[in-house]
Amino acid sequence: MAIKKIAFIVKSLPYKTEASRLALTHAIASQTVEIYLEDGDNVEPVLAFIGDGVLNCLKDQKAMNAYGVTSLEQHLKNSLLLDLKVLICKEDIGKFSLSEDSLIMDAEDIGGETKANIVPFSEIMKEMESANHLMFF
Amino acid sequence: MKLGVLVSDYRNMEDTLLRLTADTLGIILVSNGVYHAKVKENGKTSPVLEKSPHLYALLEDIQTRGLENEIDGRVKSITYNDLVDLIFGEYEKVIWI
Repeated sequence: MAIKKIAFIVKSLPYKTEASRLALTHAIASQTVEIYLEDGDNVEPVLAFIGDGVLNCLKDQKAMNAYGVTSLEQHLKNSLLLDLKVLICKEDIGKFSLSEDSLIMDAEDIGGETKANIVPFSEIMKEMESANHLMFF
Repeated sequence: MKLGVLVSDYRNMEDTLLRLTADTLGIILVSNGVYHAKVKENGKTSPVLEKSPHLYALLEDIQTRGLENEIDGRVKSITYNDLVDLIFGEYEKVIWI
């Protein structure tokens, strides 16, 4: 019986490759694996955006209109709807001069209550240290 | 030479792009290249925007990434039709880096 913590760290830009989309879909899917595990076992995901990856978190993505695919914005909101822990690197949004208003910080429009958190890289590093598995995308 | 350059990445292309010379150099930002038109790193705009006065960015790629209304004023947003016109009408050679 154990809880396995998995840290999904997103450092890639969205859309040109599937990397960041895979991170989000895997993190979301980790919430459904409980039915395949023994009683008491579970997975605790944490999703963190660092470096160029913070640009996945910009609001008003219109991927469905242009590409006919779901946006990373929608996946991120689904992550928050499922109460995943979502962290965005403070230093990197500072580097890109992004305001908190320009970022997807909640999923209130679809009924989510959990909010994303802007945190220093050191805090993301602590999450990585405490994770059983690290997955970089 | 009139050279059109399609830029589809945000990283790892400056070493090539910034050394290119042409009588007319057009830079067309597509895919993740459109981040050059918006992102400021450490308060500085992308050096790509200093390379030429002929700067374009594909509107669909801008909208997809949530960058609309925040594009650098030097960059003209274009549609796919505009892109075809540029390739066939404005530039003698077109490369993709």
